[in-house]
Amino acid sequence: MGPGRSTPEWLGRTRVLMVVGKGGVGTSTVAASLAVLAADGGADVLLVSVDGKSGLGPLLGGTPLGPDEQVLRTKAHRSGAGRIRGRTITPKQAFGDYLELKGFGGILRRAASAASLDLIAGATPGMEHLLVLGKIKELDRLQSADLIIVDAPPAGHATPFLRSASALQTAVASGPVRDQADEVAALLADHHRSQCVMVTLPEETPVNEVIELAYDLEDELSLALAPLVVNGCWPDRPGLSMTAAAAARKQKITLSVATRRALDDVARFGRARLDMQLEQFARLDDRLPLPRIQLPRLPVARLRPEHLDVLAEALAAEPTVPAGVTK
Amino acid sequence: MTTVDIATVLQEAGLVVTCGPGGVGKTSTAAALALAAANSGRRVIVVTVDPARRLADALGIDGSAKSHDPSEVIGATSHPTGSLWALMLDAESTFDRLITDRAGDAKRAQTILANPIYRSIAGSLGGAQEYMAIERLHQLWSSNEFDLIVIDTPPSRHAIDLLGAPDRLVTFFSHPIYRIIAAPGRSFARVTNAGSATFLWVVRKLAGPKVVEDIIEFFRSLSGMEAGLRQRAAEASTLLRAKTTAFVLVSSPRAEAIDEAAHLADALRDGGFPLRAMVINLVHPTPASIDADDIPTELPPGPLADQFALYEELTALAHDEAIEMDRLRDLADDVALVEVPLIDDIHDLDGLAELGTHLLLNAHVDLA
Repeated sequence: MGPGRSTPEWLGRTRVLMVVGKGGVGTSTVAASLAVLAADGGADVLLVSVDGKSGLGPLLGGTPLGPDEQVLRTKAHRSGAGRIRGRTITPKQAFGDYLELKGFGGILRRAASAASLDLIAGATPGMEHLLVLGKIKELDRLQSADLIIVDAPPAGHATPFLRSASALQTAVASGPVRDQADEVAALLADHHRSQCVMVTLPEETPVNEVIELAYDLEDELSLALAPLVVNGCWPDRPGLSMTAAAAARKQKITLSVATRRALDDVARFGRARLDMQLEQFARLDDRLPLPRIQLPRLPVARLRPEHLDVLAEALAAEPTVPAGVTK
Repeated sequence: MTTVDIATVLQEAGLVVTCGPGGVGKTSTAAALALAAANSGRRVIVVTVDPARRLADALGIDGSAKSHDPSEVIGATSHPTGSLWALMLDAESTFDRLITDRAGDAKRAQTILANPIYRSIAGSLGGAQEYMAIERLHQLWSSNEFDLIVIDTPPSRHAIDLLGAPDRLVTFFSHPIYRIIAAPGRSFARVTNAGSATFLWVVRKLAGPKVVEDIIEFFRSLSGMEAGLRQRAAEASTLLRAKTTAFVLVSSPRAEAIDEAAHLADALRDGGFPLRAMVINLVHPTPASIDADDIPTELPPGPLADQFALYEELTALAHDEAIEMDRLRDLADDVALVEVPLIDDIHDLDGLAELGTHLLLNAHVDLA
C-alpha cells in the first residue's frame, strides 16, 4: 500500500476495460480493485455496472450505484491520486439516451422508450446489449474518463453481451441500429481502445469456463484479452506439508497433543486446497496461454473497503507468463 | 409451525425448486437432493439449466446434444423402487413445442416457428428462458411419470424473474401494441393507429422495414393463442405455490451471496412461494480450538509459522462466515437451515452422494 504504486502497463493500454467472469468468482470485486489501482496511479476512473448490481458503491465509500454518476472514494489516499466515479447503465436508460441523441423528440421518445422497449428489443436480437454497449462507446468517444471499467454480466451472459454488435451487423442491413452495431464492433475489435479482463477461481469448473470464454472472446469476437485474473488463491505455505510435531521440532517449540492435532487437521485441509490449486494452475498453463495475475484469498466473508487496497496491490504485480508463451 | 428437515421435504414434496445466487453449487445441490430421494425409493427427475460439464457427464446428459426427453441415470440407486432421471433444459425447443401444441394446425405452427421475430424472442426475450423452465416443468408434472421433480433454476439475481415469468409472458401477449397489431380487421384502425404507428415507426427507423413486416406477421400468426397461454401460465403459477411444492434456497456464506439469498427469501415469502429449506454451501471448516498457552507470541518464519498462519486465517474466516450465516438464519424462522462444507469439485455420483449426506445430516462444519 506504499505510495508511488504505479499503474501496470497493461492497464493503461485502453480506455475501455470489460471485466468478465462466471457468477461468484468475484468479477465486481476485481472491477472495483482495478478502479482503486488506476485511481491511485492518478487516473480519472469511471466504474460502470451493467448487470443491475449496485453493491460496488458502498464498497467504494459511496451509496448504491444508480443511473446518475456519483463520485466514490472522495478522500484521495495521497496527493496525485485520481478519482473514481460510479454509475449503472441499463438498457432502458441507454435506450432513452440513444433516442435523444438521434433526435427522436418528445411524445414519440416517451412512447418508444417507456412502453415498447421490450417489444423492440424482443424484435431485434441483442438490441438491449447493443444499447448498453452503445452507451459505453459514447462515453469512450466523449473521453468521459481516462479509464472506463465495465463490470460485465456473468459469463454465459458475457458472450451474448459482447457478441450483440456482430450479431446485429449480420441481421440488420442498414439504419441507425446498423450504424450503432458497426461503431460498437469497431470499439470492441480495436485493441488500442478496449480490452477484456477475465476473472476465475483456481477451481475446476471456473477454470473450464474461463478457458471456454477466452476462446469465445478472442477467436470468435477478436477482443483483446488482458492478463487473466485468478481470484481467491490460497497463499503457498510449504510448512503445511509437515506434521505439526515435525514443524514444532524444527522451530524448537513444544505443543500439547490437542494443539498438534488441531494443526494437523488445518495443515491437511490447507494441503488439499493447495494441491487442487496447483492442478488448476497446471491446466491453465496447458490450455490458456495468457499472462496471469493471482489474487490472494482474503480470510473474510464480507469485503470491506480496505480489502480493495490489498487486492489492488496484488493487481499491480507483474503478470506471470506461462512457460512457452510470448507476450 | 414445526421445522421440517430436508429428508422429510424429499419424502413429501412433489416438486422441489432450488434457487439462489450464481456460483454457490446450486446445480450440484439439486442433483444431490434428487439422488437422495431416489435412494429412498422415489422416482425422481432432476431438471437443470446449465450444468458444469463434468456434472452433466455424471448425470449422463450431454450439453452438446440437448434432448427433449429425460434420460435415466444408470446405476444411480440400488433401491428397488427408486430411480433417478435427468434432463437438461433447452429453452428454445420447449418454446417451439409450446407453439406447436397451441398453434392448432401444423402449417400455422410452421409459419410462427420460421418467423425471425419468433426466433429472436424464443432465444433472447427477457424472461423467455425462465418462462420455459416453468413451462417444461409443467409438462413433466402433467406427465405423472415421476414422484418428485427437482428443478434447478438459472442463477438469477432477481430470481423472482423466474417465478413471475408466466405472468410476464401473458403481459407481453396482452400488451396494447401487440393487441393493436394482432387485430386482423381494420375497424379499430382509426382509434388505435397512433400507438401502433408509433411503435412500428420507431422500429422501422431503428431496424429497417423488413423487421416491421416480420413483427406484423408474427403477431398476426399468434392471435388466438393467447387464451391458451394465459391458462397455461395460471396453472404454472398455481403449481409453484402448491402445498406439495418446496423451494430450497441455496447460498454460500459469502456476504454478496447471503445478501442476495436474503433478498430472495423475502421475495419468495411475499410471492406466496413455499420456502421449505435453506442450504448454505461451501462453508469453510472451523478448526478445533487451541490452548492459549500453545500459541507462540512471536514465531519466526518456518513450517510451524505456516501452520499457525493458516490456523488463524481459518478461524477468522469461520467466525466471519458465522456472522453472515446468522443473518440468513434470522430469516429462516420455521425453515430448516443446513450448513454444507466446502467439498472439492463434485463431478460424479459418489460426490453427489457425499453432498447428499451433508444435506441430510445438518451438522456444524468442523475441521477434523
